[in-house]
Amino acid sequence: MMMFGYLLASGITTGALYALVALGITVVYKATRSVNFAHGDLFMIGGFIAYTFHVMWGLPYVVALLLAVAAGFAIGAVVERLAFRPLRDQGLVSLLLAAIGLSFILKGTARAVWGGKGDFIPFPPIATPSPISVGGILVVPQQLIVLAGAIAVMAIFAGLFKFTKLGRMMQATADNAKAAKLVGIPVNRVYVYTMAIGTAIAGSAAVLMAPITLLYPDIGFVLFIKSFAAAVLGGLTSIPGAVAGGFLIGLIEAMSGGYISTQVQDVSSYIVIMLVLVFMPQGLFGGRALRRV
Amino acid sequence: MRLLLGSRQFLFLMFAALAVVPAVANPYILYICNLGMLYVILAVGLNILVGYAGQFALANAAMFGIGAYGAGLLQVKLGAPYFLAAPGGAILAMLIGTVIVFPALRLSGIYLGLSTLAFAMFSQWVLLHWNSVTFGGGGFPAPHLDLSPLPIGPDTGIYFLSWLVTIALVAFAWSLVRSRIGRAFVAVRDGEIAAQSLGIDLLRYKALAFAISGFYAGTAGALYAPLLGYVSPEGFDLFQMIIQKSMIVVGGMGSVMGSVLGAAVMVFLLELLRAFKSTQEIVFGSILIAFVMFRPRGLVTLLQRLPGWEEPLSSFDPRRLFAPAASEPASSPLGASPELADEGRR
Amino acid sequence: MTMLSVRGLSISFGGVQALNDVSFDVEAGEIIGIIGPNGAGKTTLLNTISGLNRATAGQVSLDGVPITGLRPTQIATLGLGRTFQMSQLFPGMTVLENVMSGLHRKMRAGAFAAAFRTRSMREEEQATAEKAWEALRYVGMERFAHHPGTALSFGQQRVIEIARTLIGEPKLVLLDEPAVGLSVNRVAELDRLLRRIRDEKGVTLIMIEHVVRLVMGVCDRVLVLNYGVKIAEGKPEQIVADPQVIEAYLGSEFDAKRLAS
Repeated sequence: MMMFGYLLASGITTGALYALVALGITVVYKATRSVNFAHGDLFMIGGFIAYTFHVMWGLPYVVALLLAVAAGFAIGAVVERLAFRPLRDQGLVSLLLAAIGLSFILKGTARAVWGGKGDFIPFPPIATPSPISVGGILVVPQQLIVLAGAIAVMAIFAGLFKFTKLGRMMQATADNAKAAKLVGIPVNRVYVYTMAIGTAIAGSAAVLMAPITLLYPDIGFVLFIKSFAAAVLGGLTSIPGAVAGGFLIGLIEAMSGGYISTQVQDVSSYIVIMLVLVFMPQGLFGGRALRRV
Repeated sequence: MRLLLGSRQFLFLMFAALAVVPAVANPYILYICNLGMLYVILAVGLNILVGYAGQFALANAAMFGIGAYGAGLLQVKLGAPYFLAAPGGAILAMLIGTVIVFPALRLSGIYLGLSTLAFAMFSQWVLLHWNSVTFGGGGFPAPHLDLSPLPIGPDTGIYFLSWLVTIALVAFAWSLVRSRIGRAFVAVRDGEIAAQSLGIDLLRYKALAFAISGFYAGTAGALYAPLLGYVSPEGFDLFQMIIQKSMIVVGGMGSVMGSVLGAAVMVFLLELLRAFKSTQEIVFGSILIAFVMFRPRGLVTLLQRLPGWEEPLSSFDPRRLFAPAASEPASSPLGASPELADEGRR
Repeated sequence: MTMLSVRGLSISFGGVQALNDVSFDVEAGEIIGIIGPNGAGKTTLLNTISGLNRATAGQVSLDGVPITGLRPTQIATLGLGRTFQMSQLFPGMTVLENVMSGLHRKMRAGAFAAAFRTRSMREEEQATAEKAWEALRYVGMERFAHHPGTALSFGQQRVIEIARTLIGEPKLVLLDEPAVGLSVNRVAELDRLLRRIRDEKGVTLIMIEHVVRLVMGVCDRVLVLNYGVKIAEGKPEQIVADPQVIEAYLGSEFDAKRLAS
């Protein structure tokens, strides 16, 4: 029971982060019908930017968080405008390779600016490391902060998506870009905002995550593939699905790591991707069928 | 058949030049040229699958690894001679590669890409953790090529073996795309519905494309093991996949010549990048982006401008392939909705 | 001799009955027209016959062989050809290569023969190229042989699709709006081409067509669909006088004008 409670807490905490990254992947996919392979690297850069503000310059954690979100927003917009938009009609292969190129540039930049190859950067926790008991389950306070932060970010995003004009334009563009263009929605600008918001969410996830694990330049791909598994579980076009998928992947990882072995933990998200894409392409939460007719 | 003089002469000159390398070059250059030939095999095989048959799979690095592991382990564990172990590794990669056709029957585009990428990562995990068979993360030393009665050293030996195999496999691919098989691949790529209505069996040709590219990657792996003298999981990771994908895009998708060109350029580029040390990732990334932006149809388009240069099945624009809209079920002219099917045109 | 027999064919998509109990027979050597308002289920009917859609009920047989439930590839191999409303030429091939791919199922060379360029493979390839040239000459498109297929006009692409289908010597060809977007002169050419295909090659033809002049001129019989139901069948001149048909078309003003023209 002790063990289960501990795994539950850690699964939910990491799951919240996967959910945030998956949210970004899903939002971008919904709008542009392409998966941004560099999403994990954008996350990583967000984390390093926060590290600069918080650890190197000594700004308060919350300020660093906000600055990293703002930086993520700006980087996402620039990347969309400069790299992805010109390639939009060139199809998957060009976009994939451009994203891979971007991923290399981001990793190289992180290594050049923040340290040598394979550097793991510690991010100081912002709460006492001693665990407290919540309903009989021992939880590290940092985990609660992460969870609360993630839920806050999701709520802000949900509000933005539901209640603002931009949110409605994003929804319309996602449903039918051509029709959206016809009714006067500036589709290209919506793409820029979408990418910017997706990257900003990734940045926030990085800042939330940094205190409980380590930041390193190569974290991008690992995080991308796990969050992609979460997005796929959610059907890849469903925002609530992505969030639920994130928590589910977090729990699957924690449980398989705790009860089977940590080696299985590493590989569980790959297995989920293979099984879900091949046998359940609409995802668990009834997103649109991915299978070709 | 049309004469294909330009590209034939080009290949002939290239392989002739490669034949004299061992006589004049130092071991480092010899190794790079040898590696380059293996990349040619990998790129040609991947291009048959992705460029010709249009199956956006990302598991080629895994097949490369399976070929290397298969060839190495058959020698180390079972004591098989290299000339049995190498085809064994290649055929193992071909068989496992063919299994990936099953997701390809249900998935296309990015979904196929990511599910096969997950498969590749999974195979790497198996190589890392199945210690009793694969020796785990540390890998194992694989025997160098021993041609002992012949007065040929292992480095030169593997070089000429690679040279022969590369010529054979490039020639096979060259012939294949000039046959009904090549046309069937392109038909499956360009229009599954029209292909079926001409009696082209999707399962058979997708499976064949996966088998061929698996065989090519496995063969490259079986040559890689004795070349390096060591087999470990790192060589077959995501970066390897990225290199292979980059080769066919940089060279030109749907072109045998493009694969050869792309492999040569990438091997050269990767060696050149060592000079940049700390900034090599940034330089490499920028070059990739520059290529897709400024030469989206690959370097081969430069050659295709030459007078007398002709290549079959090459009136091809990757812009039409894997375009985001193409994977939309609703945009299919024969989509499930009868209204759409009848009215789509008006 | 019955070339195609359709019995009680029905299909529904998510509760929408796209075809409802459609039955008809086509004799060998006939040219049959299928008309009907937009959304009447015409393309769905062709897709279901050729195996792209799976019927919920009913049987189809081609030249006496039951083909219900077979895969499109198998049905094609039994002698059913097909052209499409939106051009389905392979963009990566030249016109000649496109037409050659139409002979795929009649060719024998396997991957090994192709890789080693065996003598029989080369001879077969040579013969295929010659037949493809012949097919292109037959439809008058040989001057475009080395052009990329998709560089031509839609009308030309559809004619090349016809050549690509014909080269495989089908017994029956289903044509989905072959005349759409053609000028008046071109429609007359297409009219002659379709008759020649029937008369000289003995191929049975079924076509969906909106160009009434073509339907009236070339078809032996016409089938009218409305909301997935066959509402009339008969000689063209009977069809235009059928009150049910006029009624169906009046539902859509645009098509009523077309029918009257």
